[in-house]
Amino acid sequence: MSHKPLRRIVISKVDTLPAINALFLLFALFAAVSSFAQTASPSIEQLVNEPFLDDYYSNVVLGYKIVNDTQHFASRYVGNGLNCKNCHLESGTKKDALPLNVAGMYPKWRAKNGKRNGIGLRIRECFIYSMDGIMPPDDAPEVLAIAAYVTFLSQGEVLGAEPEGRGVPTLPETGYDPNPANGRAVYMSQCASCHGEQGQGVGANPPVWGMDSYNRGAGMNRIREAAGFIWANMPLGQDRSLTHQQAFDVAAYLNLQYRPSDPRQSKFLKLLEDLLP
Amino acid sequence: MIPALLKEALPSFAWAGEMNWRGEVFAGFVGAILVIPQGITFAYLAGLQPEYGLYGAIFVTLFTSILGGSSMMSGPNTAVAILIGSAVLPLAGRGSPVYIDYVFILCLMVGLVQLLFWLLRGARLFQYISPSAISGISAGAGFLIIMASLDSILNLSTFNTTFFYEKLYVILSDAENLVSPYSLAIGLVTILGGFVGRRYSHRYFLIVAVACGYAAGLLVSFIWPQPLTELEYLGRMPLEWLPLNMPTVNIEYLMTSIQLVPYAVTIAFIGLAQSLVIVRELKMTTDQAIDLDKEVYAQGMANFLAPFFSTFAGSGSFNRSKANRSLGASTPLSGIVAAGFVLLLITFLGPILTYMPMAAMAGTLFIVGLDMIKWSDVKHYAPEKTELATYLATFIGILFFGLATGIAIAVLLSVSVFLLRISQLELAEEPHKNGSLLKIKGSLFYASVAHLTEKFRRLRERDLTIDLQYTTHIDQSAVDFFSHEAQTMLEHDSRLTLIVNSKQRNFLVGLGLHNSVKLLSVTEAEVR
Repeated sequence: MSHKPLRRIVISKVDTLPAINALFLLFALFAAVSSFAQTASPSIEQLVNEPFLDDYYSNVVLGYKIVNDTQHFASRYVGNGLNCKNCHLESGTKKDALPLNVAGMYPKWRAKNGKRNGIGLRIRECFIYSMDGIMPPDDAPEVLAIAAYVTFLSQGEVLGAEPEGRGVPTLPETGYDPNPANGRAVYMSQCASCHGEQGQGVGANPPVWGMDSYNRGAGMNRIREAAGFIWANMPLGQDRSLTHQQAFDVAAYLNLQYRPSDPRQSKFLKLLEDLLP
Repeated sequence: MIPALLKEALPSFAWAGEMNWRGEVFAGFVGAILVIPQGITFAYLAGLQPEYGLYGAIFVTLFTSILGGSSMMSGPNTAVAILIGSAVLPLAGRGSPVYIDYVFILCLMVGLVQLLFWLLRGARLFQYISPSAISGISAGAGFLIIMASLDSILNLSTFNTTFFYEKLYVILSDAENLVSPYSLAIGLVTILGGFVGRRYSHRYFLIVAVACGYAAGLLVSFIWPQPLTELEYLGRMPLEWLPLNMPTVNIEYLMTSIQLVPYAVTIAFIGLAQSLVIVRELKMTTDQAIDLDKEVYAQGMANFLAPFFSTFAGSGSFNRSKANRSLGASTPLSGIVAAGFVLLLITFLGPILTYMPMAAMAGTLFIVGLDMIKWSDVKHYAPEKTELATYLATFIGILFFGLATGIAIAVLLSVSVFLLRISQLELAEEPHKNGSLLKIKGSLFYASVAHLTEKFRRLRERDLTIDLQYTTHIDQSAVDFFSHEAQTMLEHDSRLTLIVNSKQRNFLVGLGLHNSVKLLSVTEAEVR
């Protein structure tokens, strides 16, 4: 009577040991997987190499591709020779270079069009001003893809707050008016090797004026904005090597050059510009 | 078997001998002009970028014409495009990369299903779809086109409601916020241009409509800037001469696209149905050497190859085939030439098309949709109750439950009408010696035999002679029925006699007819 249950216990112990081990292993695996899933959202490089993605992540990847190669992936709405990453440096991740992690700040009111702007409208305006192209409809796949990429970059930012390094730094007043003549000298010595003496761009470096550059309605056409961008990011790799005054001067020089007209004004000129190659 | 199939699969250029070169080339040119706006708008219906539709106008047309042997114009098609859109939309956002991948997988499936139809000699199957069902499907598709065109004419963001009247209600109740006056103006000018143009030219009025819309768009963009009007333009199309593409097929896509299979079968079916209606009409009214099975193969192969050329499935087009025929084209050359002209035209028109307002495109779509709903169809089918019922049921089914369900209703109704018709027997009763003579016209099989029981119950007290000369088909259940009745009649002291021809006699005996049934040959019956 007494050894029967004992024997059973022994047997069951022998039987369950591997089972317990397996259970423990499973639990550890589950813990590892769930902690991985919580902390590490996939990086964009990981996503690009993935063979199959769901609707959201495939849009993120398309948005990333559009930002890097707008000429190819969003050619429908582009009218000049620029790509998003020419201003949104490092695919829109560099601070003080108009980073794209700003989804939490929209919708907001903007003075530019005097209405409440969603992230979609903001992206569409980029196409018509900075890319000198056609305003895409608000359900265009390109717009949705860029919006998905912006959302992806904005993960972890505080809703409604300005992320650190948003836009470009606002340069303090120097006490002198911007001097385009001095700007031309700085441009020729520091910028012309990459952007060309005629501002036409060399290789992958974007044109900064001419009909292949941004138009008069773009944010970069404002001297303050351009000066902040130039001071914080140019020449590429030697950030903040220019003085504030030099940055203002170069911005003023760029603004004097010819470029496509503002689509909000001179509509007939715009029509000619677009219809005649 | 296999050599015969191979012979059918390879393009035959037997038509190249005697033909009217100039007529064919001119017909091809007009076909190319007609297909460009259709390709763009049908790509929109399928939820894809316009260039995919233009590639369809080139490559689907080209492959169908080369592999087939008729002057049918294939290419992008309304019903097929709508079905592609409604099939893939639940899986991904319109026009996104995953969406395009799913469209390509769907088109591969459609092509394979159609090739399966070809291998099973399925062309015969499509004769059972009644013309009234096809007209009903066409009218329903026209209604769906009109509803879809409203999105672009009014410049709404795409939104879908369960029922069409909800959408109309939403638009009407919030018109001042939803409707863009600029877009509406361009759309109305396009539609008006179409209706005025139709009075002067029945063939080119769509071109007139597009031109009016384009001019109105230029005028609007000259007065108001685009940031204010927010007009939707076609944009620059990244066109290539040879847009080769390798559709992504991996295990994840195949697992998730299982739910596309019913749609693939529906699209394959409706695509072939439309193509074969056109081809059958050509075969009956012209002297082209047309093989229906070869046309099935050509359409299936063109749809299967479509994803490899960055485009989606299509089928024969009623309106373009009609225009093609009225210009005197009678060989596949017109289709081949049309594909080449599309390629040339879009290369030159591309920069001009950039500023084509989508409202103008949608306006032409609206006209096409209106043309597909014809009051004359209703009047045409009105005398025959069943035809009218099929037409209306199909149309209303599409209105309320979508195109796929509507097509299912159409097929079900036309097949059941057909079955009801053939299971009906024509019975003529005459007095005969000491009993009666029953003449049976029709097909005697399990469904129709039941009609005979009542007659037999009444007549079996006396001798009964059945004249089977005009019976087309007899099956086992009919033989069993006769054997059983003959035995019952023996109990009533009466006799069952069948008047048959020699072929039927062998057949009936072979199926085990009871020997109490007396068989008389036709000549014997006449002598007596």
